[in-house]
Amino acid sequence: MSNFLTLPILLPMFIGTILIFFAKKHKLQRVIAGFSALSLLGVAIYLGYIVYTDPSQIITLEIGDWPAPFGIVLVADMFATMMVILSSIVGVVCLFFAFKTIHSDREKFYFYPFYFYLLTGVNGAFLTGDMFNLFVFFEVMLISSYVLIVHGGTGYQLRESFKYVVMNMVASAFFLVALAYLYATTGTLNMADLAERVQVLEQEGILNGIAILFLFVFGAKGALFPLYFWLPKSYYGPPAAISALFGGLLTKVGIYAIIRVFTLIFVHNTEFTHTIILILAGGTMFFGVLGAVSQFDFKRILSYHIISQVGYMVMGLGVYTPLALAGAIYYIAHHIIVKSALFLFAGATQKITGTTELKKMGGLLKTHPWLGWLFFISAMSLAGIPPLSGFFSKFALILAAVQKESYYIVVVALVVGILTLFSMMKIFMYAFWGEPKISQDKVNRKEMFALLRPIIPLVVLTICLGFFAEPIFQYSLGVSEQILDPANYVNAVLGK
Amino acid sequence: MSALHIAIIVPFLFALVIPLLYNKVPKIHTGWFVLILPTILFGYLLSFIPTISSGETVVKQFAWVPSLGINFDVHLDGLALLFGLLITGIGALVVLYSVFYLTKKGEALHNFYFYLLMFMGAMLGVVLSGNLMVLYVFWELTSLSSSLLIGYWHHREKSRYGAQKSMLITVTGGFAMLAGFSLLYVMTGSFTITEIIGQADVVASSALFIPAMLLILMGAFTKSAQFPFHIWLPDAMEAPTPVSAYLHSATMVKMGIYLVARVSPIFSGAPEWFWIVSGVGLFTLFWGSFNAVRQTDLKSILAYSTISQLGMIMSMLGVGSAAAYYGYEGGYTAATIAAIFHLINHSTFKGSLFMVAGIVDHETGTRDIRKLGGLMTFMPITFTIAIIGAFSMAGVYPFNGFLSKEMFLESMVHALHITDFNMQTFGMLFPVIAWVASVFTFIYSMILVFKTFTGKYQADKLDKKPHEAPIGMLLPPIVLASLVVLFGFFPNILSHSIIEPAVQAIYPTSLTGIDHFDIHIYAWHGFDSPALWMTISIIAVGLILYLTLSKWQKIYQFLRLHKKDPINYIYDGILDKLVSGSAKVTNLQMTGLLRDYFVYMNIFLIGLAFYTLYHFDSFGVDTTNVAPIPLYVWIIVGVVAAAAIAVPFINNRVASIISVGFVGFLVSLFYVLFRAPDLALTQLLVETVTTALFLLCFYHLPELRKEKFKPTFKWINVIISVGVGAMVTTMALSAMSFGNKKPFEAISQYFIDNAHDLAGGDNVVNIILVDFRGMDTMLEILVLGIAALGVVTLIKLRMNGKEDV
Repeated sequence: MSNFLTLPILLPMFIGTILIFFAKKHKLQRVIAGFSALSLLGVAIYLGYIVYTDPSQIITLEIGDWPAPFGIVLVADMFATMMVILSSIVGVVCLFFAFKTIHSDREKFYFYPFYFYLLTGVNGAFLTGDMFNLFVFFEVMLISSYVLIVHGGTGYQLRESFKYVVMNMVASAFFLVALAYLYATTGTLNMADLAERVQVLEQEGILNGIAILFLFVFGAKGALFPLYFWLPKSYYGPPAAISALFGGLLTKVGIYAIIRVFTLIFVHNTEFTHTIILILAGGTMFFGVLGAVSQFDFKRILSYHIISQVGYMVMGLGVYTPLALAGAIYYIAHHIIVKSALFLFAGATQKITGTTELKKMGGLLKTHPWLGWLFFISAMSLAGIPPLSGFFSKFALILAAVQKESYYIVVVALVVGILTLFSMMKIFMYAFWGEPKISQDKVNRKEMFALLRPIIPLVVLTICLGFFAEPIFQYSLGVSEQILDPANYVNAVLGK
Repeated sequence: MSALHIAIIVPFLFALVIPLLYNKVPKIHTGWFVLILPTILFGYLLSFIPTISSGETVVKQFAWVPSLGINFDVHLDGLALLFGLLITGIGALVVLYSVFYLTKKGEALHNFYFYLLMFMGAMLGVVLSGNLMVLYVFWELTSLSSSLLIGYWHHREKSRYGAQKSMLITVTGGFAMLAGFSLLYVMTGSFTITEIIGQADVVASSALFIPAMLLILMGAFTKSAQFPFHIWLPDAMEAPTPVSAYLHSATMVKMGIYLVARVSPIFSGAPEWFWIVSGVGLFTLFWGSFNAVRQTDLKSILAYSTISQLGMIMSMLGVGSAAAYYGYEGGYTAATIAAIFHLINHSTFKGSLFMVAGIVDHETGTRDIRKLGGLMTFMPITFTIAIIGAFSMAGVYPFNGFLSKEMFLESMVHALHITDFNMQTFGMLFPVIAWVASVFTFIYSMILVFKTFTGKYQADKLDKKPHEAPIGMLLPPIVLASLVVLFGFFPNILSHSIIEPAVQAIYPTSLTGIDHFDIHIYAWHGFDSPALWMTISIIAVGLILYLTLSKWQKIYQFLRLHKKDPINYIYDGILDKLVSGSAKVTNLQMTGLLRDYFVYMNIFLIGLAFYTLYHFDSFGVDTTNVAPIPLYVWIIVGVVAAAAIAVPFINNRVASIISVGFVGFLVSLFYVLFRAPDLALTQLLVETVTTALFLLCFYHLPELRKEKFKPTFKWINVIISVGVGAMVTTMALSAMSFGNKKPFEAISQYFIDNAHDLAGGDNVVNIILVDFRGMDTMLEILVLGIAALGVVTLIKLRMNGKEDV
């Protein structure tokens, strides 16, 4: 029991609301937002620390003191706190990048409140221990994302975000339907209680259908094959800071939910459910990367790569061994950091060249070596080149799949790795190599450094995640062992 | 962490300082600073020779990621030491050479030396690592740095092409290798090479033996440019010549050979291993030498020559693996000894030849042999070096290449003694291919020297007047050429100190049989030696063919080899198809039309959901708890259904809104019937407001267009719509029947029981909303607030998308 658990949710919610009142004063907004984001990060890290040092490594809070499973319960286990920390890191970085890049008109129109509301929803989704409450947090997150993705209201944004909204609404509707079925069969909505009751029911019959429905719902949020159609074009529209936040975080909330539900509740027919997950993982990786290979636009390539990499995370769940899940968790951490960094580099590049089309760029390595090399490190990390973070996470996944004798997925994962490298090389070769194509530079040295400053911590993180892979991997393994034994969670929540 | 670890890490740390040195000390060529490091490291490694040649192995451990079995263990044995010396020794010479090759002005020296040092560290890491995964890590770093060096002059289209090609091919091989290592881990539970070798029998009896072998060989073959992966190497010649000399002839391309040697204790003895390694090696040997003859660019000749020589070394390792099958007295170890010896020799003569090519390029402005000729008088020293290198490569006495070539031919003839592995049928191919390839080797070696340095001097075709290179540029090839001569006369200074420990590392189990390999290399084998007669005939036939070159050169046109290596068509084709094919696949899905997206998503959902229900046999309808349905309810249901079905058929916006509103109002009637007046009121309110809003908006919109669709399109939509409806209904009914059969007490009972006592209210729904689950409500209010704010933003904020990024 700790009220501290509410802070990652309540802090951004209140800050968002306060910021509405200062909408016209953008300097004050920045100060408040910056400090709040940093303190949110502090809160997240502290929460992670107290959970890690707690004997059971799970801390719960019954909201309004209504006992579980009747009231809403917040559950901070190692997985959830890790995700909260990651979201806070990206939250800080993208915010500081936004300070440097976004237009003051956006700041006047509640950019920062929406930003913090989005974080409210994301953090809540990680921390909640109640299926219906998860739905509500998804709504908070999605409604903020709807606004942020259309923020600015250009023709392109209006057209593409309409599709984004409609597809997500349909998925949300199915979420409600699935919740209704779940309640009809088990009579509860608390995740721990659900875990227990589904176990008693031996996950028979229709419960599997409901599991598949949840897979569909979270798969649509997490951009799994063949449910990812909303993603590539809608992420292209908003400013880089938002694309980076979305690219890093949003789909991962869906993936988090899939992993949570399919390690805690629906774990009694893994032969069936997790095989389907593995197949979807392969399709997601493969078709996602094909999209990236076909594109010649910085941001579009990155958008398609989100899809292919989501596949790797789900692959870890599909293989379903401690090592595989540890790999998936490592991958999530790696991906959130690197993907956000890459989107921000796309933004910085766009600021210099005025475009995201690769064929209009060239020779940036000569004029902006720092940008070039920092991008290169992140790109290689994404492609899984050792010893950066992408390598170790991918390697754990591949090793686990080989051990489980799932050779097909290994082949897919490796082929996708090569194609990832190919498309990352493509960006590097077009944008950074070759002859400079822009006549006048819009960004001087000092401004360039100001742009890069927020991104550098992410690049440092991806390097550290590689070189100090042992502690990170130990932590991931700890997370994976914790979530693979649902009893930990159930006992912590229901107090047995 | 030991000094050896530091020796691997120092180049990386030094690389980080390079940009600083370049910027802060612009007066001194950065290469001078860099030169210090490989020189020191070379000396440091030399100091290990006494220890290693006495048969010891230096092992230092350092835990890196122990939970994944990845430990940064340094394992220094003869093989590692040999490569370490090559890397640092030739590294030092190449750096010295590069100082004069690359001018301070206009060259991005900080980039160049950064890559070069990164490469050097990575190479040391590969050869010194005792753990396969650490080896892999450094292996990929060599691919990366090699690629960056090839693309060093990245404003050139060809450099970028070459960089990408080498990256894709070598990293693909690397990934295959990674999978192979993972398989080895699954079999043995370790990544430590010595531990895996210790369990070689476990590996050999596993079903994964062949897959692991093939995958690891794929890594080795891509790196060592074996057919058909060799095509990246000629394009890698876009790199500055010091790089070609260093990476693409002397060191990096030998990594595949190193790997084959390193893992041969695990795999050798298997017929597959024997055939693949020696077969691919022999074919590469032939292909490389055959194609080298048709090249007109000095560096291209050298590139194909390198491919060919690598194939030769590979084939010797393949034949040498027979020793693991027949025992170490069978004479097959001679092939391995020859492989190691030739590996050293190749580094010396090929390194010097590359440097010669660089000098010619530097001093004349071209490497095209059609423009060159008669340079002998202008650059006599360079010419002498070229003669020594080329004749050694051609296998002419008294140079070191002659010795190892003889040993090679000898071992190929000796391979005929192998009685298993189907060698009776195909064995003759070994000496025949070896002989033919050697003839071509002789021819291109002659082309290299004589087309460049003799013949007519064509001043009009050259940009500058040639003259001898500066001494700094001559010194490194002179050193290498002296070694060529030295090893030619005194090969046995190497045999005990370097070659024997290296061979022992390849046959680690051999010492149980014999104490040590008594290696003694000599030039004269007597008149009964088949190698002698083969060498004589190679030189004779080679000379004739060289002199009649113009007569038979048409054969390349006839074979369609004159433009580019035919494997390149495959590579370029794959790359083209990859981009266009993936664009096709992507455009097929990403049509930009919501209705297409929903078709895909819903087909997936319906299919998967029904399959799951069918698989678990979970269909069920349970009518036990169903209340009687009066007639008027049936009527309302009918009307609701009719109104809903009518919507798609209406072509008028207002009419369809009314129809939808109708459905909504009737649903609220259901709430009344089921005694939920509060819900009914809410629903009525919502319906009224939305219908009114819709009507207000739609008044301003144009009339609906009449759209014509094909019947199939309509029917697909109908089927999908009905399918989704059927799925939702089936699942609802089945869920209900399931819930009836296995009842759990629903948590709602707690709310009913405790609403009054604990929460102080009698309206349970309200209590749930504001107390039991107050947080949900608070957040839903937040959602509404955000939506309201969002609407304001959407209406008021109009940007054109160019203001910011």
